[in-house]
Amino acid sequence: MYQCKDIVDEVNNYIDGELPLGKRVGLFFHLLICSCCRNYLQQIRSTLSIITVSKPKEDDNTDTKLLAEKLHGIYKSHQH
Amino acid sequence: MNFFSKLTSKNEQKLIQRLINGDQQAFEQVVSEYQNIMISVARAIVGEAFADEVVQDAWISAIKALPKFEGRSSLKTWLLHIVSNGAKSRVRRENRHSSLDEGWQAISSDKFDNTGHRYDDVLPWEEATPEALLANDQLQMVIEESFQQLPAQQRAALSLYDMEGIEMKEICNILDVSASNVRVLLHRARTTLHQSIEKYQDNK
Ligand SMILES: [Zn+2]
Repeated sequence: MYQCKDIVDEVNNYIDGELPLGKRVGLFFHLLICSCCRNYLQQIRSTLSIITVSKPKEDDNTDTKLLAEKLHGIYKSHQH
Repeated sequence: MNFFSKLTSKNEQKLIQRLINGDQQAFEQVVSEYQNIMISVARAIVGEAFADEVVQDAWISAIKALPKFEGRSSLKTWLLHIVSNGAKSRVRRENRHSSLDEGWQAISSDKFDNTGHRYDDVLPWEEATPEALLANDQLQMVIEESFQQLPAQQRAALSLYDMEGIEMKEICNILDVSASNVRVLLHRARTTLHQSIEKYQDNK
C-alpha cells in the first residue's frame, strides 16, 4: 500500500508520467482515498503552471545589447 | 511535454540567415533571448566563478561557426551544446566537482506518522489562473527569490525542462547528468518552489 509520504516523493515523476505502471496505479489508488494527497497533487500542478508563467531567471547583469555589439564586430572582422 | 519546436522553424531559418548576413538587430535578438539560459547551463557545470567567461567564449565560438550551422537542431539547442562543451572542458581543467545534494533538505519526516500518513491536513489552493495569481508582484518576487536560492544544477534542470521545454535526452547531454539525476534535480527544485509558494499563501 502506498502512503502520503510516497506521494510526496513521487509526485513529480507521477505528473511527468515517469513511473512504471504498477507504481502509478498504486499511487492513483492512494489518491482516490486521500484528499490531502489530492490537494497536494493539485498544489504541485499549480506550482508548475505558476513557474511556467512566471519564468524566473538567472541573476545576470550582462548588458546583452553591448555584448551583441561586440559579437557583431567580431563577426564582421572575421568575415573579411 | 514537448510541444515546443524541435526542428528549425521558418522564422528561425530567417533569423539565422540574418545572422549570417551580419544583421546587427538579429545579433541583439539572439543574445538577449539566449544569454540567460546559457549562463544557467554554464553555472550548473562550472560554477559561478567561471560561468561568465565560459559563456563569452561560447558566444564567440558560436558566431565563428555560424556559417556552418546546418539547422539539424534548433539554434537554442546548438548554442546550449556549445556552452556545455566549453564548460565541460573548463571543469576538466579546474578539476571541479559539483554535488547533487548541494542545498537539499527532504521534506521532514515529522510531517508523517509511523505508517507514512500525514498528520496535518493539506488544503486546496484557490483555483485561480497563474496569470491572475502573478498579477500580484509579491508572488512573482517570492518565486524569483526562491529560484535564485536553488543550487545552480537545480535551476538549470528546471529552466531547461519546465521553462524551455528541452527534451530529457538533450538535458542529460547538456548538463552531463543521468536522466534519473535530472529527475532528482527537477523534483527538488519544484518541491522547494512549492514550499515557498505555500508559505506565501499561508501568510497572505
Ligand atoms: Zn495521502
